[in-house]
Amino acid sequence: MKVSGGAAEPASFERLAWICACLGLAVIPHVAALPVWVLATVGACAALRLFRAAHGRSAPPQIIRTLVAVLAIGLLFMQFRTFNGLTAGTALLSLMAGLKVLETKTRRDIHILALIVYFLSLAALLRGESFWLLAYLVALVWLTTATLLHLTGASRKVAWRPGWRYAGRILAQAAPLALVLWLLFPRFAEPLWQTPSDGRGATGLSDSMSPGDIDELAQSDEVAFRVRFAGAVPPAKERYWRGPVLHDFDGHTWRRMDTGPARPLALLFEGPAYQYTLNVEPNQHNWIFVLDWPSSWNLSRAMLTSDYMLVQPNIISQPIDIIVTSYPRMRTPEPLGPGMRARDTQLAPGQNPRTLKFAQQLRGAHPDDMGYVHAVLELFAQQEFFYTLTPPRLGENSVDEFLFDTKRGFCGHYASAFAMLMRAAGIPARVVTGYQGGSYNRFAGFWTLRQSNAHAWDEIWIEGHGWLRVDPTTAVAPLRIEPGLSDLSSAEDGFGSRRYPPWLADLRLRIDALQQFWRDSILKYNEGAQLKLLGYLKIPEPDGQKLAMVMAGALTLVLGLLAWQMRRELAPAVKDPLVRSFNRLCAKLAAAGMARLEHEGAEAYAARIGRDRPDLIAAIKLCRQYSELRYGRNPEDAAGFAAAVRGFRPRRAL
Amino acid sequence: LSWAAQRLRAWSARRHGRDTLPFAIHRRRIYILPTRFGLILAALLVAMLIASLNYNSNRALAFAFLMVGLALIAMHHCHRNLLALSVDVNAETDAFAGGEACFDFALRNESPVERSDIQVRCEARAQSISSVPGHAHGRVRVCIPVARRGVSRFKQFELRTDHPFGWFRAWTYVQASLIAYVAPVPRGERAIPAAAAARGLAPRADASGDEDFAGLRAYQPGVSLKHMAWKVLARGGEPAVRNYSGLAGNPEWLDWSSLEGLETEARLSQLCRWVLDCEAQLRPYGLRIPGTEFAPACGREHSRACLRALACYGIEAPR
Repeated sequence: MKVSGGAAEPASFERLAWICACLGLAVIPHVAALPVWVLATVGACAALRLFRAAHGRSAPPQIIRTLVAVLAIGLLFMQFRTFNGLTAGTALLSLMAGLKVLETKTRRDIHILALIVYFLSLAALLRGESFWLLAYLVALVWLTTATLLHLTGASRKVAWRPGWRYAGRILAQAAPLALVLWLLFPRFAEPLWQTPSDGRGATGLSDSMSPGDIDELAQSDEVAFRVRFAGAVPPAKERYWRGPVLHDFDGHTWRRMDTGPARPLALLFEGPAYQYTLNVEPNQHNWIFVLDWPSSWNLSRAMLTSDYMLVQPNIISQPIDIIVTSYPRMRTPEPLGPGMRARDTQLAPGQNPRTLKFAQQLRGAHPDDMGYVHAVLELFAQQEFFYTLTPPRLGENSVDEFLFDTKRGFCGHYASAFAMLMRAAGIPARVVTGYQGGSYNRFAGFWTLRQSNAHAWDEIWIEGHGWLRVDPTTAVAPLRIEPGLSDLSSAEDGFGSRRYPPWLADLRLRIDALQQFWRDSILKYNEGAQLKLLGYLKIPEPDGQKLAMVMAGALTLVLGLLAWQMRRELAPAVKDPLVRSFNRLCAKLAAAGMARLEHEGAEAYAARIGRDRPDLIAAIKLCRQYSELRYGRNPEDAAGFAAAVRGFRPRRAL
Repeated sequence: LSWAAQRLRAWSARRHGRDTLPFAIHRRRIYILPTRFGLILAALLVAMLIASLNYNSNRALAFAFLMVGLALIAMHHCHRNLLALSVDVNAETDAFAGGEACFDFALRNESPVERSDIQVRCEARAQSISSVPGHAHGRVRVCIPVARRGVSRFKQFELRTDHPFGWFRAWTYVQASLIAYVAPVPRGERAIPAAAAARGLAPRADASGDEDFAGLRAYQPGVSLKHMAWKVLARGGEPAVRNYSGLAGNPEWLDWSSLEGLETEARLSQLCRWVLDCEAQLRPYGLRIPGTEFAPACGREHSRACLRALACYGIEAPR
């Protein structure tokens, strides 16, 4: 046997390979966010180092390593201009891990690599939020920890199976501690400092719409938000979830320019009121999708814009819940201000000339606003327009090309063309993007709005009525809005969405319900929930300080229990009561200075006690009795023996 | 850091006094501290917590706390790896100056839980054992270089472990005297003075001959197997050794006074050489040094006693 186990001992190929595998798995969740050259560098470093190790060579020379490091980190800084923020930080960490692999010589380096893997895992969780990601990363920690276990081992041979089991056990023991800490660790309402919100890409609808944008969204099954209605559920054709309202059109793209604060016009609500709870997923935008015309909501910092978007000051980076009351219809008694009228009738000069000309012709035939609107809708319904998820790409004069050439489009194309036709006729019009419909989860009782429910429609100003919703898509594809009976039962009403066999649809619903649970109980857990927990534990007047004390207490308790259980494994309880009693007798005698020797049976022990300590006559008797009970032909009563041992009080030797 | 370790060792020695062997490691005797990697991990955990809190991310916080839990549990596993382990060692050993004094440590694990990666250290010499399975024991031999003749005493040894992840180090000091009797370097050119001449008898012509069988004598441990009387043993008799005239007849007297003119250490070295030579040739020998005399004999016990006497010459015998 040689002296080994030092941190400076060379890392073997096997260990190197394992830690490289861990590193690779840790980088995978970041692949989409990292620059390609960073990934390539890390991969090349690992491959080069492993290749050298496989041929029994050590790390490449210092000069090469320094060169690569300076080059890579310099390049990274040139690209990001900062190392703060998630993407830049992750890229830097990954690069450092790659460089560390390149220079890995000893176990010490592998230790450092393991720590980098841990941190990369955490960074992945800052980026993504799915339950599966957490499960994946916990498995990765398991693997890394098992690798680490073999690093400290003095033996060069690596036994994997016991290692896996041992690392898994330690992880399982860590879980209750993590739970206590997680439940009770004081949370801050506001972040400690603002970090660039990069890396966590904005999802869902944005504040601009080009032809084709919504088609792409419609391919995604990602959940936008979930809704639970308190009472009646509006019919499908009234479930329009309003989002960004777009006013500014350049002939191709609809945008929402910031127009500064403006007072929303007063509304007279009509129709039944619907109350519902929105579970909004973080989307890195600041608007909240609500059903048509909201009248009240329980988020004090959120407010209505002049075009009735519900916005809040900060972007939504945490799941939030809002209770909203909405009405499906409304009237506006005030007239439209000149500024807003000008904005919503503006057209990009020189763009889409054919549409402009056509609109003027049609307007000539229909001087009445509503008549004109119906004429346009007729046009969509009667002519050869097709509703498709995969329309041809459009150029600068997108409306011209769509109306007169391709005639194939998704909702965005129709909304854009319709608004343009309205404006060309002098009717104020704007494009509204949002979600339409939703699928009902009958297992959990809520409605799910996915990205595939993304939709675009129009609102036009009718004098004496106010803003009126017009959905030109219904003229082409009525099914999109009013699903048939089969769609209701399969709870899947996105027109362009894939169809699933019933069992798969059920499975999807169940997974959706599970994810809702994950979101409700894990992602959304916050200060308020903590205080509620304290209240539940009957702790009066819960506050932060009490929380910290309860956490410390609970942590001590759980750790103490775990430690006690671990120590118990060293000396497992003896099952046989007779043996237990005899052991107690021996312990008492040992305290009295007459310990039983390892090799001594009860009889021999009794004989020795008789020789050395004749004063312990009771002990001799007890030993004989034990021997009789254990091996004798007629066992006496064991309970009597146990009682006698309990009552036995030997004196120490003088 | 080594200064602190030294202070701790001294404090531990003062506090716990002498330990009896075998020594079962009590939990109050185990010290534990994070290693360098443990400290880096701690910094990393703080960074993880700050990042999760800053991004207000519950799932990242859960992950960070899982890592905190992992570290805390690892600490307990590290501590438990030494707990209730029982260690024993041969408290006395023999060595030659310039060589190594080797101590055999026996680690007994009476629990069903496997113990891993335990290092035994004594006088900056360390040796590890990768595993002591449950209800088993492991052996670790630590060899300490000894330069000078005399009695080397090591008052303390240490058991330490970094198991499982190298984030924590648990250790214990055992206050047990390990004694090495360091015999002088066997060296010297002089021949053994003829014993017979010293007693006034004529030396036998064939004194060197091993071949003359001269009866049996009782077996002593250490006698060459070549000289065992196997037939006697096979007949069911006591183990015996064949005596040859060359062996039996004239015991050699290795005498301090026969080495006039040499320095003390040189004399001792020469005597040591003779002891080893006689032992190798299975010739009975006696040793006479000022203050001590060993009657002629042969075998391991005898040679050990002689060598220890040489080691202790002029030195107070250890308590």
